[in-house]
Amino acid sequence: MKLEIEDVSKQYRRGVLALRSFSLELKPGVLGLLGPNGAGKTTLMSILATITKATEGRVLWNGADVAANPDSLRSVLGYLPQDFGVYPNLNAVEFLQYLAAVKGLDASTSARRIEELLELVNLTEVRKRPLGGYSGGMKQRVGIAQALLNDPQLLIVDEPTAGLDPEERVRFRNLLSDLSGERIVILSTHIVSDVEATATDIALIAKGSLVAHATPEALLLQVEGKVWEWVVPSADLTQAKQQFLISSTTRRSDGVHARVLGEDPPLGASLASPNLEDAYLYCLSQHRAGATA
Amino acid sequence: MTRALYHLVRADFLERVRRYSFLLTLGFSVYLGYAVYSGQVTLQLDKYRGVDNSAWLGSVVGMVGSVWLSLVGFYIVKNAIQRDRQTRVGQILATTPISKGFYTLSKTLSNFAVLAAMVLVLALAAVIIDLSHSGAAHTDLFALLVPVLIFGLSSVAVTAALAVLFESLPMLRGGAGNVFYFFFWTALIASGAIAMENSKSSAAAHPFADYTGLVTMLTQMQAQLHGLDPQYNGNASFTVGGLNPTTKTFLWTGIQWSRELLLSRAVLLGFALVLALLAAVFFDRFDPARTGWPSAKSAKPTKKLKAGRTASNGIAEQNGHDLPQGQQAVPTLTPLLRAESNSGWGAAVHTRFFSLVAAELRLQLLGHRWWWYAIAAGLFIGCLASPLEVARSGVIVFAWLWPVLIWSQMGTREEQFSTGSLVFSAPRAVPRQLLALFVAGVLVAALTGGGLALRLIIAGDFAGLAEWAAGALFIPALALALGVTTGSRKFFEALYTAWWYVGPVHHIRSADFMGTTAQSSTPAVYLAAAALLVAAAYAWRRVRLAYA
Repeated sequence: MKLEIEDVSKQYRRGVLALRSFSLELKPGVLGLLGPNGAGKTTLMSILATITKATEGRVLWNGADVAANPDSLRSVLGYLPQDFGVYPNLNAVEFLQYLAAVKGLDASTSARRIEELLELVNLTEVRKRPLGGYSGGMKQRVGIAQALLNDPQLLIVDEPTAGLDPEERVRFRNLLSDLSGERIVILSTHIVSDVEATATDIALIAKGSLVAHATPEALLLQVEGKVWEWVVPSADLTQAKQQFLISSTTRRSDGVHARVLGEDPPLGASLASPNLEDAYLYCLSQHRAGATA
Repeated sequence: MTRALYHLVRADFLERVRRYSFLLTLGFSVYLGYAVYSGQVTLQLDKYRGVDNSAWLGSVVGMVGSVWLSLVGFYIVKNAIQRDRQTRVGQILATTPISKGFYTLSKTLSNFAVLAAMVLVLALAAVIIDLSHSGAAHTDLFALLVPVLIFGLSSVAVTAALAVLFESLPMLRGGAGNVFYFFFWTALIASGAIAMENSKSSAAAHPFADYTGLVTMLTQMQAQLHGLDPQYNGNASFTVGGLNPTTKTFLWTGIQWSRELLLSRAVLLGFALVLALLAAVFFDRFDPARTGWPSAKSAKPTKKLKAGRTASNGIAEQNGHDLPQGQQAVPTLTPLLRAESNSGWGAAVHTRFFSLVAAELRLQLLGHRWWWYAIAAGLFIGCLASPLEVARSGVIVFAWLWPVLIWSQMGTREEQFSTGSLVFSAPRAVPRQLLALFVAGVLVAALTGGGLALRLIIAGDFAGLAEWAAGALFIPALALALGVTTGSRKFFEALYTAWWYVGPVHHIRSADFMGTTAQSSTPAVYLAAAALLVAAAYAWRRVRLAYA
């Protein structure tokens, strides 16, 4: 099982270049796709989900060009778009039955699968309620269920935890981890903690280009010895932010504890253990510095 | 306040005119002017038509534009509030201090701006046509432009306000309002003629009855023609496509603008303002509690589900985020058996086509009130139990009007509910789903009008059965093609209702797609048209979806 993205570019009307020669090779596991807003994550997801075609380059599923035969991928694809709708007059079971029919599942298989999925996403109690009365988080869980209807080999989820409460977010993270064994899961998000909890690989994307592709450990290694904890008086924080790259701040009684990223520490700062958010921000800042140079 | 109103109207106007569809509507206005000039649309007063001059061109363009835009314009602008609802901009506006009246007034003004742009383009087209035909020396701009502008702008003002009023009324907000407006508009036009017939005087006294200005202009023309030819019988009609050519001409000198007439048009503007403010009374200010969906809190779990609640809650408690992540259990999924090869999976997909038809049919039929199904069943029985001729020429006509709001959703649902990315990422979604949708639409036709098919089979009238089949196939094909290409249900609702009224109701041969009489039936034409429309829908969707 292999998904190859070869030099994929996507240009929209009016010349907007959303992806530039993007290449990546994926094998079973969870890929966390991280990037700032407008980086091209959703465009990449749409191309991989066969919603739109790449302007240049190829996507290969097990060696076969997806553009030439999209159905070879669609048969094994589960897709949760960032923004999707539901039919408000249908209840969750009816909506999933409809999409199961569209995906080509037979009645008995889909009936069993839908029962399991509703249990999985914690919607069993409200399964007969029209979707028009669902909250945003409940609709999102219906979206997660439909993405898993056909037991996909390639699962693409775009901002899946948006709108979920903390409990459901944790539940979904665990689900993704459990699902990842024999399938490729692509998790696109800008919530670093979601990726930290589930991803076996991370791809950083900015301005349509691949900035880094590595394991979380390798990314963390890049910032090892470059993260500093620095206590700054509140009054000096604005100036400190102009001088240093600060990934986070916490207010305490002795001042603001800032995590500073860089080769050289500020005066009085102590070395800190890096986390994925530090690595993400450091890589992006390096990329921006490189692009500017 | 004025500044806020200006910006509300401006933003809404710009949002609309920056769409390609607006260019199409302007193009349509130009075509309307050309159609009058070229004789494709002509006004006949018995055997007479006016001598080609600015007054005649301006009056006829004014009449055609005013009447036509009062109908078509309604469907063009009846989405101002809906757009704010769909884009969720409405939720932002609802939290601002603007009043409901202010909002409905701003929507009326932006509707008016859009329709006024069409009137202005129509007027400009008339000027260019007259200048190129008669030359600058013989073009009378006053006689040419004033009827177009005065009658056009005052009638579209009412249309603009009616569109907002319909959008504010829950019953008329959707497709039912689109269908109802056609009959409402027909009744308004007819009432103007009846009022004139009864009073035998100028329509200036009846501005509401003659809001398009049609009767006013015709009355003046008829009076002038009577003066020239006392034998003139008073007949007046529009003809389309150059049928029944006229043999005589008369010199039309233009509308006589009296103070009463101008005042009556000004009264219409005030009437539009009243309608705009009336709409505020019914406008829900984007309150989700008033949109008709049951609230999440109101629904009660079923008994069966209550029994499973304990277990479900158990899972929720176990999965609480206070617990360490590693201890949080997730229910397991049974792996699906999947054919190893793609061809095997594909073959299975093909065999499940009828499951998809059933799913599409269920999607079409769900969500109606009980009385909808009761009337549908009554129409089926009516077709079955009535004398054959009555069923064929009468009952079936209504049986195939009743599901119009179901058919109008065909091909538009994915856009309306933003489910396209879910549906079209499925294997072979375009051909399978489109065909299943069409078959479901045909089944809907059979569910309401199938009684007639049974009668025809029992009677051995297979020619009649072919005519029935042509209708049953043509209607969903038309709905599908219009839905897929326009993405909006309004076009089918407006076109189908008008076509239904002109063709099947009046048994007009060239337009009777239901074959309500043997004389008016042309099944081969509509069978061929159905095939072409389905093919067009497929081709359009294939082109629109990069991977289809």
